[in-house]
Amino acid sequence: PGDDGGLGIDEEIKVVKKRHPIPKLDDNRLLSDPGIPKLRRISKDRLKFKGKGHEYGDIARMLNMYQLWLDDLYPRAKFADALAIIEKLGHTKRVQMLRKEWIDEGKPRHTTREED
Amino acid sequence: HQTTLDEWAKDPVDPEIRAHVYSLITALGGIGDDGTYSFGDDALLCLKDLRKWLKFADGQLNRRDVARCMAEANLVKGDLLEILAKVSAKVTDDRLKHKLAVATLELLVPLTWPFEIDPVEATVNHHRHGPYIQLAQIGYKRAVLEYDRANILQTAVRIALPSMAVPLRERAPRDEGIIRIALYFIRNIAMLSPPKSVPMDIDEAEVARSAVIDAFQQQDIFQVILSIASSIGEDFVSQDVIILEVLFYLLKGIDAEKLFMEEKKLKSKNTDELKNLIQKEKSMLAGYARHAPSRHNRFGTMIWLKRGDDEQVSTISGQDVLGKAQKSMQKMDKTKKWNKPKRPGRKTDGEQEREEFDLPVSLTSSARKHIKAFVEEFLDSSFNPLFLHLRKAIERETERVETRHSRQFFYLVSWFLRAECARRRTMKERAADPKSNEVLSAEDESYGLVAEVMNQETFILMNRFMQKSEDEKAWQDLNAGMKCFTQILLTVQEMSESALEDDQEIAENIQNRIFYEESTHDRIVHTLRSYNDQGFGYLDAVTELAHVFLRMLERYSKQNVDMQVRSKKRARKIRKKKAEAQGEQGEQEGHVSETEDLAAAQKTVSERKFDFSRFAAKFINQSSVNTFVAFTKYYNELDNDQLKRAHRFFHRVAFKMELGVLLCRVDILQLFNKMIKGPEGLDQESPSFKEWEEFVRHFFRAVVKRVQERPELVVEMLFSKIPQTIFFLEHGYDRELPTRT
Repeated sequence: PGDDGGLGIDEEIKVVKKRHPIPKLDDNRLLSDPGIPKLRRISKDRLKFKGKGHEYGDIARMLNMYQLWLDDLYPRAKFADALAIIEKLGHTKRVQMLRKEWIDEGKPRHTTREED
Repeated sequence: HQTTLDEWAKDPVDPEIRAHVYSLITALGGIGDDGTYSFGDDALLCLKDLRKWLKFADGQLNRRDVARCMAEANLVKGDLLEILAKVSAKVTDDRLKHKLAVATLELLVPLTWPFEIDPVEATVNHHRHGPYIQLAQIGYKRAVLEYDRANILQTAVRIALPSMAVPLRERAPRDEGIIRIALYFIRNIAMLSPPKSVPMDIDEAEVARSAVIDAFQQQDIFQVILSIASSIGEDFVSQDVIILEVLFYLLKGIDAEKLFMEEKKLKSKNTDELKNLIQKEKSMLAGYARHAPSRHNRFGTMIWLKRGDDEQVSTISGQDVLGKAQKSMQKMDKTKKWNKPKRPGRKTDGEQEREEFDLPVSLTSSARKHIKAFVEEFLDSSFNPLFLHLRKAIERETERVETRHSRQFFYLVSWFLRAECARRRTMKERAADPKSNEVLSAEDESYGLVAEVMNQETFILMNRFMQKSEDEKAWQDLNAGMKCFTQILLTVQEMSESALEDDQEIAENIQNRIFYEESTHDRIVHTLRSYNDQGFGYLDAVTELAHVFLRMLERYSKQNVDMQVRSKKRARKIRKKKAEAQGEQGEQEGHVSETEDLAAAQKTVSERKFDFSRFAAKFINQSSVNTFVAFTKYYNELDNDQLKRAHRFFHRVAFKMELGVLLCRVDILQLFNKMIKGPEGLDQESPSFKEWEEFVRHFFRAVVKRVQERPELVVEMLFSKIPQTIFFLEHGYDRELPTRT
């Protein structure tokens, strides 16, 4: 018994399950389209402030915007955790350079005048 | 290899050792015919042999077998205490009895020696016996404190009395030894505390601090401490560190402020505290009730949360979220199962050490009365001599001074300064009260009682200690140093408000000296900035020091407009500048490291004008904000002063220094929002709530305005700010740099 004529059919086949790599919230993900570009987009039309007398409501709406955005971007993490991860990414050189660029985009007069 | 039951039930102690130790204990004596203890024929030799076993079998081989045997054989309660009780009455006159008593004490001291002190390289053997012995030691402590036929602690002192009576110069080493073991015995009893790792089946109150204090009072141990401490340097020298330890374990964690409150006031304060706690609980429950479901838990509601402009929806169940947008957002977050993996933190065995003196201790009213009387007497007679002596010993790095002693020294300095200030305050109040017949007012006495720790020598030692502990990352040491510094600042503050002109002048001088060194300023800023998960006690100390220091420095520099500070500059920089000025060619690469080392060694010292606003600017930056945010996260456990401290800091950041942009971060906004609007927010009835609410509202308004003006903040709000862009984000335009022409 057990002799299968060298065909090896009795040998147990080891099934190696490949683990799916867990997606990470890294700079690539943060800078991809559903990341910061989307945040910049949605903030333009979703952020509507009521102003004086509604400070808490305004900020709560803003926080909700961030929370929903992060939930789309990286559903695994809780709000606070995701914020902590992103804050840390902000220390990398790549993200810092982009951050400066985004800010500079906000100063149109300056850049256009130079280009002129 | 399988473990069998036999193996498992094997005696953990070498049977031969057990046999020897047991036979010695049996030979020692026992309850005689008359019901009292009667000695065996060679009791003294037995005691000495037992000591040898403990010393050589355990000590030299680094085992704990003998100690465990002795614990199992009930040696302490069954024999040693009985012996002490038997000889107690005549211990000073009868030579044989004295010898027996000394031999007993020589056994008791190593047996009660606390585990934490010099934990030698632990072997497997230690881990096997450790928990058992620790529990046994608590049993010893209880037996000593509660022994009803004799005052054990007092007997220990009486054993040392003949030796203590010998003048210092004529004292033989053996006399010194006897004094030492008697004091160590007292130290051990004060120090032993129930281990947190092992459950105990005795009443904790029997071995609590109050029990120790009551026993000390009843057995006149306080008198012994006072008489040794007040004549330190004359009749006693090397005992200073043991007294320091006794004091430390007696006082740590006790609230010095509360100790000196009048009985009546304390009662009303305690009722207030209870009221506040009930109120806090009420508001907490109300907070839950507001969000609790109004129907049973299988009611099965489910809602869709429409999000964004697209068709996407999230589903959330539970009727508690119906019609409450905020609540549903929160629930959505709460149901996520993944947690950000935390970095493996510091070793957990540091946990206990970390909390060493930051755990509050509560006392019974009798213990409170006794310890208060003791502290007053101590301040009046012994504080100056003892702490002067200790300071010198620490400075000289005398052999008997161990690392832990510096920490204990600075902690106790801060403790006694706090106590003295509190005492003076109550004295003042009493004098101001026309109904009381108190003649002596606080004004009649200067701050002379604590003068020995308010001098330049102490400041130098303290600064050096703080620097050293920071360099070595000894956080608990730094914690003690910071507490001490804070208390010195507060004492100086009270001194400067004294009615005596002398006091004011001295206070002025001290402030001059403290604020003159720029290195001190830098250190405070640096410690505040570099907080990184050192525990709440440390966080409390670091924020308090920063708060007190900054406020006092601000006041001081306002009064002394042309204040000078001594700053250390590196000679290298100056030399480099000189070289640049002379237009020399670039320095030769090979020389750099060598000259750098040299230059680092020769720092030049120069004076320069102090500019408070520049200092305050250094003080406020992203890392110090992070430290205060970490502190504020404990908002529900903070008391009023602590909340105020955080409030003042953030207020300074946002409005005084106009650096609110540092607080524009989503996590900080969320924290502030949660504090005010809940759930689990700050108690609305608490006195600090109002000023916090106001601050947050103001700040939020500023944030809204800023986001409207500069939409780029929406992204920046995710990150800590980079120095290059802070100015623009704050003001909306770039800083004009002075252009060179």
